[in-house]
Amino acid sequence: MIEVVLNDRLGKKVRVKCNEDDTIGDLKKLVASQTGTRPDKIRIQKWYIINKDHITLKDYEIHDGMGLELYYN
Amino acid sequence: MANRTDPAAKSIRGTNPQNLVEKIVRSKIYQNTYWKEQCFGLTAETLVDKAMELDHIGGTYGGNRKPTPFLCLVMKMLQIQPEKDIVVEFIKNDDYKYVRVMGAFYLRLTGIDSDIYRYLEPLYNDYRKVRRKSPDGNFILTHVDVVIDELLTTDYSCDIAIPRIKKRWTLESLGALDARKSVLEDDFEEEEEKDENEQDGLEEEAAHEKQDYYRGRSPVRDRERDYRRDSHRHRDRDYDRDRDYDRERGRGRDRDRDRDRDRDRYRLREEKGYGYERDRDREREGRERDRRDRDHGRRRIRSRSRDRKRHAHSSMSPRRHEAEDGNPPEESKKKKGKKEKKDDGTDHPDPEIAEANRIRASLGLKPLKL
Repeated sequence: MIEVVLNDRLGKKVRVKCNEDDTIGDLKKLVASQTGTRPDKIRIQKWYIINKDHITLKDYEIHDGMGLELYYN
Repeated sequence: MANRTDPAAKSIRGTNPQNLVEKIVRSKIYQNTYWKEQCFGLTAETLVDKAMELDHIGGTYGGNRKPTPFLCLVMKMLQIQPEKDIVVEFIKNDDYKYVRVMGAFYLRLTGIDSDIYRYLEPLYNDYRKVRRKSPDGNFILTHVDVVIDELLTTDYSCDIAIPRIKKRWTLESLGALDARKSVLEDDFEEEEEKDENEQDGLEEEAAHEKQDYYRGRSPVRDRERDYRRDSHRHRDRDYDRDRDYDRERGRGRDRDRDRDRDRDRYRLREEKGYGYERDRDREREGRERDRRDRDHGRRRIRSRSRDRKRHAHSSMSPRRHEAEDGNPPEESKKKKGKKEKKDDGTDHPDPEIAEANRIRASLGLKPLKL
């Protein structure tokens, strides 16, 4: 179980607990349940790399405590 | 300049009509080439020509959320605000289904509640196929009536948050609308009559049996059961055993369900009275034994062979029966095991983790691996 931090630099900072083998799509659903936006409106980025929905966190090498950027579509 | 709403346009829901579309989607539409090239200076008439060229519906798609031409044209309609007659014309036209869907979409966004129900419900009868662009860029097959249903029941479609409207029954009670009359009503009535004739004895049964009813009462299944019963009838066997055999094999219902669950209720059913099938079959086959059973009640059927297999049951507790196949004992054991320890982690001692697992379970994800 890892915990990632998502920050949208406008006031929303969210800590989400998830598994390493969750996909980005699952992570978006978890974030959506915490922030209240729709999961398809969320875009998770790491410095211009837009993370795709079907790839797991492990494959993106997202580790425990890592910060991701939260943008909106 | 080109993105400003027509100054003579009314405000929808208290705001600029273009604000019905969210800011981000709106910006994406304004930056889109289709909007800039084709939608410049469109009027209601030229809009119709553009709409006739549409070949799919959809919201935004792709990694950078590109809007579809459908969305751009809806935006244009919001901008120029055509009159209600024109929109109704769009909906009524039969030749171009995408024009129809577009008109319906616009009406749903801007019309009043009674108008929405009045004009969109007839479109439930339109079964034509419609191409829809999914958010990841692929095309999906859907139908006009599915789209209309989505418009009327959900609150988000094609990347636009659809305004809330009053429920139908509210409007009916206000008198603004008549009760909904479905085109399939006549067909339903026929079906109901047929079903009523078939299922006379069944109303007493537990409500959950409704599912059983649909599965078990179809004429084909009844016929199957009868054939199988007949085939066993002439064999040199204990009748009761045959009956059990038939019930287990021929009914099919038990095969597919958790036997424990079914068995209890099924048993209770037997005890309660005369199961429908038994009545009918008895009438059909007119076996002496059946007649006797009917007179003396179901308990009688607990003959020697039955007792060998089952214990007399007056209680609802699940019984293990080797006569039936090995699945029931295993399934019930598993069920018991599950009750003791939830496998989705929602009973974890740490409340945070339990809460996280609860959310994950509600989203359909596996629990956290600790």
